[in-house]
Amino acid sequence: MPNFQPYLQSPLVNFNLPAETVPADSSQQVRANELPLLGYIAIRGELADAAIAAAVSSVTGASVPAAGQFSTGDAGVLVWVSPDELLLVTRRAELAQRLAAFEAAFAGLFAHAVDNSGGLTCLSLSGSEHVTVLRHMGVYDFESLAVGQAVSTVLGKAGGTVLRLEDDGVFLIIRRSFADYLWLLLRKVCTPYRFAVAKLAESGSHPLLRLLDKQHAAPARKAVTA
Amino acid sequence: MFQLHCPHCGATREEEEFSYAGEAYIARPANPEEASDAEWGDYLFMRKNTRGWFWEQWQHTAGCRKVFVVKRHTASYQIAGSWTLAEGKAHYLKESEA
Ligand SMILES: [Zn+2]
Repeated sequence: MPNFQPYLQSPLVNFNLPAETVPADSSQQVRANELPLLGYIAIRGELADAAIAAAVSSVTGASVPAAGQFSTGDAGVLVWVSPDELLLVTRRAELAQRLAAFEAAFAGLFAHAVDNSGGLTCLSLSGSEHVTVLRHMGVYDFESLAVGQAVSTVLGKAGGTVLRLEDDGVFLIIRRSFADYLWLLLRKVCTPYRFAVAKLAESGSHPLLRLLDKQHAAPARKAVTA
Repeated sequence: MFQLHCPHCGATREEEEFSYAGEAYIARPANPEEASDAEWGDYLFMRKNTRGWFWEQWQHTAGCRKVFVVKRHTASYQIAGSWTLAEGKAHYLKESEA
C-alpha cells in the first residue's frame, strides 16, 4: 500500500548529507552543510510605523533590524528584507505559536505574518576560503560583509540571502526550489578548496543553530504529526 | 555593466541584481472611461525612447524587490541619481516644468 501520510523532508534529502557528514577540522578550507527544516515567517508591514515595529519586537524579542542587517531574539533571527518586509527564522516546532502571537499583536494594524517554511531552507558555509567561494558564485562584494549584515543578492542563476553571524562563516537562506541547483553549484565551486560536508558546530547559544530541531537534523525526513 | 544605488536598501549594488522596469512616471489617463482609443493607445504603447537624460524605473529584484527611479543618460550611461518613486517624482516634475 502506498503511504498517503504527509511527511516533511529537506529539499536536499536526495544528497543524503547526514551520511556524508564528517567532523569539522582545520584541514578543510570550505565547510558546508544544511540546516534543514527550520521555520520561516514572512512579516509584512511598514517597518517605519512605530506600532508595527513594537508589535514585531514584542513577539520576537528582537529589535527591528536596520536596512541590510539582522537582529536576534528569543524567537530566532529577524532578517531585514525591505522597508516593509522582514523574515523571521524560528524553530519549526514553534511556528503555530509564533503565527498566533503575530496575529494577536497585529490586531488593528496594517501588517501580517505568514508561514513561508515550505519555500526556504538554510545552508551553513564556513572555513578559510568561504569568501572566495562566495565570490565565485555572485557579484556582491562579499569581502565587505560584516558581522550583523544580511544581504540578499545573486548566487549563480538564483538568489539568496547571506547572513554573517561570525567571522568564520556565513549562512545562506535560499529558496527550496533552487536548493538542488545551489548545492550542486556550491560543490562544483568548492572543488579546488578542500571541501567537506562538515558537522555543524554545537548549537549552544548560537542564534541560528539553536533553532535546529535535533530530530529533524538527523534523518532530514520525518512524518508530520498533526 | 554598471552599478545602481537602491534607495530602499541604502546600498550600491551591481546591475545584475536589478531588472529594468521601463520609463518612469507615465501618467495614466485620469478618466479611462472617457479617454479616446488614441489616448489610451498612447498610454499603453507609446514611449519616449530618449537619447539623453531619461527617467526610468528599476527593480531591485535580487534584493528588496522594490521599484525605484533612476535618472540615466541613455547614450553615455552616466547616472544622475536614484530615488524612491515618491521622492523622484518631485525632481521629475520640476525638471519637466523647466
Ligand atoms: Zn534594494
